This record gives sequence, C-alpha cells and structure tokens, in this order.
Amino acid sequence: MSAGGSGGGAAEAIPQNKLIAFGAAGGLIAIYLSYFMVQFAGPAFSFIGALGAICAIVWGAAAVRRVANYGLGTGVPSIGMLALGMGVVATIFGLAIGGIAGPVVAFVTAMVIGLVIGALANRIIGMGIPIMEQSMTEIAGAGTLAIVGLSTAMTGTFMFDVILTEVIATGYIALIFIVAGIAILHPFNANLGPDEKQDRTLSTAFEKGAIAMVMAGIVSQFQPVHPLLPQSLSDWPYGMFLSASTASMLSGTHMMWLEQVSCQRKRRNRNEHGTCCP
Amino acid sequence: MIDIAGVLAANFLYVILITLGGVLVSGSVHFVPVGGAPAAMAQATGIGTGTVQLAAGAGLTGLVTAGAMLNLTDSMALILAAGMVGAMIMIGVTMMVGNLVYVYGVGVPPASAKVDYDPITKDRQDIYVSQGTEGHGLPTVSFVSGIIGGGLGGIGGALVYYSLMSIANGMASADFVGLAAIFAVGIFFVNAVIPSYNIGGTIEGFHDPKFKKWPKAVVTSLIVTFMCAIVSVITIGGL
Repeated sequence: MSAGGSGGGAAEAIPQNKLIAFGAAGGLIAIYLSYFMVQFAGPAFSFIGALGAICAIVWGAAAVRRVANYGLGTGVPSIGMLALGMGVVATIFGLAIGGIAGPVVAFVTAMVIGLVIGALANRIIGMGIPIMEQSMTEIAGAGTLAIVGLSTAMTGTFMFDVILTEVIATGYIALIFIVAGIAILHPFNANLGPDEKQDRTLSTAFEKGAIAMVMAGIVSQFQPVHPLLPQSLSDWPYGMFLSASTASMLSGTHMMWLEQVSCQRKRRNRNEHGTCCP
Repeated sequence: MIDIAGVLAANFLYVILITLGGVLVSGSVHFVPVGGAPAAMAQATGIGTGTVQLAAGAGLTGLVTAGAMLNLTDSMALILAAGMVGAMIMIGVTMMVGNLVYVYGVGVPPASAKVDYDPITKDRQDIYVSQGTEGHGLPTVSFVSGIIGGGLGGIGGALVYYSLMSIANGMASADFVGLAAIFAVGIFFVNAVIPSYNIGGTIEGFHDPKFKKWPKAVVTSLIVTFMCAIVSVITIGGL
C-alpha cells in the first residue's frame, strides 16, 4: 500500500459527475447571486458567497478523495496546497481582468493550469494515475471557486479594486489560502483508511466549509462597509438577523451620541451651561 | 481592458526570471532530505515531514528575509543572498533539531540506507542501519544536501518575489506588496508539489538514486511556471 491510499479507484455512492455539477454550478451561481443580492437587497446577503465556497470545497474534497485513493506517493496535503497554489494565481488573474465575468475567467484559467499540470504529471513525471488530468482540473477549479466565494463573503463583491484593498492588501488572502486549502485536503486526509466512506469524507468537507464560512463572516465584520449594517431604514428585510439589529442599535447609539456632541458644541458657543436635551 | 501584448513585451525579462525562480525551487526540493511519514517514525533517512511542508517552510522564510532586504536596497544580488541565507538557516535549524530528536530522543544513529559509505565523510553507513528500516536520522551528506537545497530554494523564492516587485504598475505600495507576496506564495507551492510527486515522497539528498529523476520535475515546472508567470505579469502590469 502506498502512502495516502489503497492504489485503486474509490467506491462512490454519489457519482463524481453529480458532485462536479454541484460544485461548479452551485459555486458559480452562489457567487453571482451573492454579488447581485448585495447590490440590490443589502450587504447582509454576502454570506451566499460562502455557501458557494462550501459547494466548491465539497467538490474539491471529493476530487481529492478520488485521486488520492490511487496513492500519490506522498501525503494528501500536497494536493490541497497545489490546488490553492494554482487557485490563487488564477483567481487574482481572473478577477483582475474579468470585471463582472471575473469568477468565470478565474475558473477557466485555473482549470487550464490544472489540466496542464495533470497532463504533465502523467506524461513527464509518469505518475500513472488514469484520472490525474480530470482530477487536477477539478481540484484547481474547486480551489478557485472556494477562494472567490470566501472573498465575496468577506467583502460582498468580487470586483478587483475592493478585493485588492480589502482582502489581498490586508492579508486575509493568506487566511483564505490556508483555510480553503485545509478544507479541501483535510477531509480525505483525516478519514483515509480501510473504512473510509464517501459520505463520511464529504460530511467532513461540509463541516470544514462551514468553519471557513464562519471565519469569512468574522472577517466581514471588519470591512469598511459594514456588511450587516443597514444603509437606511428601507433596508430592513434582513432586520430579523440578530447581528443586523445589533449593528443598527450600535449605529443608532452612535448617531444619538453625535447629536449630543453637536448640541453641546452649539451651547458652548452660546456660552450656556447645563445638560443638553435635544 | 488591459493591453496584454504591451505588458508582456515590456516585462518579458521578468517572465523569464519568474520561470527561472520556479525552476530553481523545483530543483532545490530534490536536495532536501525528505523522509515523510516513515521518517517521523525513524524508519527512513530524512526529516520527518512531507516535501511541501519543508519546501514551504524554508522557501517562505526565504521570501520573508528577501522582503526585509527589499526594504533597504534595490540590489538584486543582495536580495537573492538574503533569501538564500534565510532559507538555509531555516532548513539547517530544522535538520539540526530533527537530528537531536533522532539521536537523543529516539536513540538511533544517523545513517543512510542508500549508500554504504557517506560520500563526504567516508564513514561506514550500512552496519548502523536498523533491521527493517531504510535508515534514520540525518547523516552528514544529507545535512549538506539539505543546506544546498535550502539555498537554491531561497534564491528561487526571492527571485520570483523580486521579479514580481520590479514590474511597473499603478497600484498603491501596500496593495502591491500583498499582491506580489501571494503570487509568489502560489507559484512557490505549485513548484514545491511537482517535485514531491517526482520523488514519490522520500529522498535522502543528492546521493540518492532518485535524485537522477530531477530533469522530469524541472521540465514540468518550466512549463507550469511559465504559464503562471505570464498570468501574474499580465495581472500586475495591467493594474
């Protein structure tokens, strides 16, 4: 038995093609839905981007499971790091030149790089894994969608000017890199062994994706445009969210404080004393 | 829309340098004595972790030292030297502490199973290899090989980072540093994984028979890094 697998194909209850559809279509639809919902309904809907990242992570973990079952000769983590290495290069390129088509450009670029690496791994290095080309393509695409999805969840957009200043320059991209990488590589790495089952690995992937989503949510709290802060009172459909109401309470307190300060300043200018009651 | 041909023509030197850096990283991994999981149980010669972790640890330290030097000077030679020394120190400390654990913790003598006599010290190796193992610890030749590997990897990482930081663009410097750093990390990881598939998980250093496979990984890295370099130069040059 080689390191990381049993040297054969993996038994799967859910066929890989369904998981490809789930990851690729689900990821892209969620990213675009998140973008347009933030534009038209309010910044709280940026969390849909992280749901897209979860779809991509589950797909990526399933692809890692399939290819690593053949035995990579080295640890499973290497392939997750490769996915995110390809993914981060393709993501930045795609978002920088793509504009509104950014996620699709990034996705296609990553799959081209992945296909080339997979083909070279079989042709030149001679790994002899029959599904190497397909799996590398899938893993690169999944890594890219995970990065774009988490970035969208953090900022509410995938437009590169915002991503550049709020995700890349702040260093959150390093967090995304390692969190999404571990979410893709860890499910199979943790479960591999004689009783490894597809459902167990994929449910671990869901769990890892949810942890990544929580982290993206925490980061989104610190964005300059507060994602949960209503822009005006007409933006209240998501006021049911506890965090949104907390945020609006804070902003209300802040406005009352501002009023108090300006009133006191006016009274001081008029040389009056006493408390200010607007 | 970005003038792709113009950006590439203006920065083609940097595409070449980034590709060269990636190839150096890929080649350097073959020098590092990687033992993988067997070495973690003192059943194979080398450091007890995977190629990617070791290459990333040493190479990213090289990136940090090169970045620190980039604050002080524009001289390419000094920046590459800083990256090289940083990565060499990192891999050297890792190997030294690993050897301390193997010798005083596990209680095994450093010995190589691939050669009968250490090519550098001419010490006998085969009689010290425990039954049922493929060597253990880090003999002198593996240590020297690892230092060479760390140095080459550090130069490679620093070269990628320096080239990316030299591309003319219209970004604010804080954004630019973040962008160049994450591109360098991405390219570095891709080039650390490709040779780890080539050597199949474990290698003892330049005396290992597997070391002769390096041209395969270098050719693969050349093609892949060239693509990544074009993509990153277009991105940075177009902003």
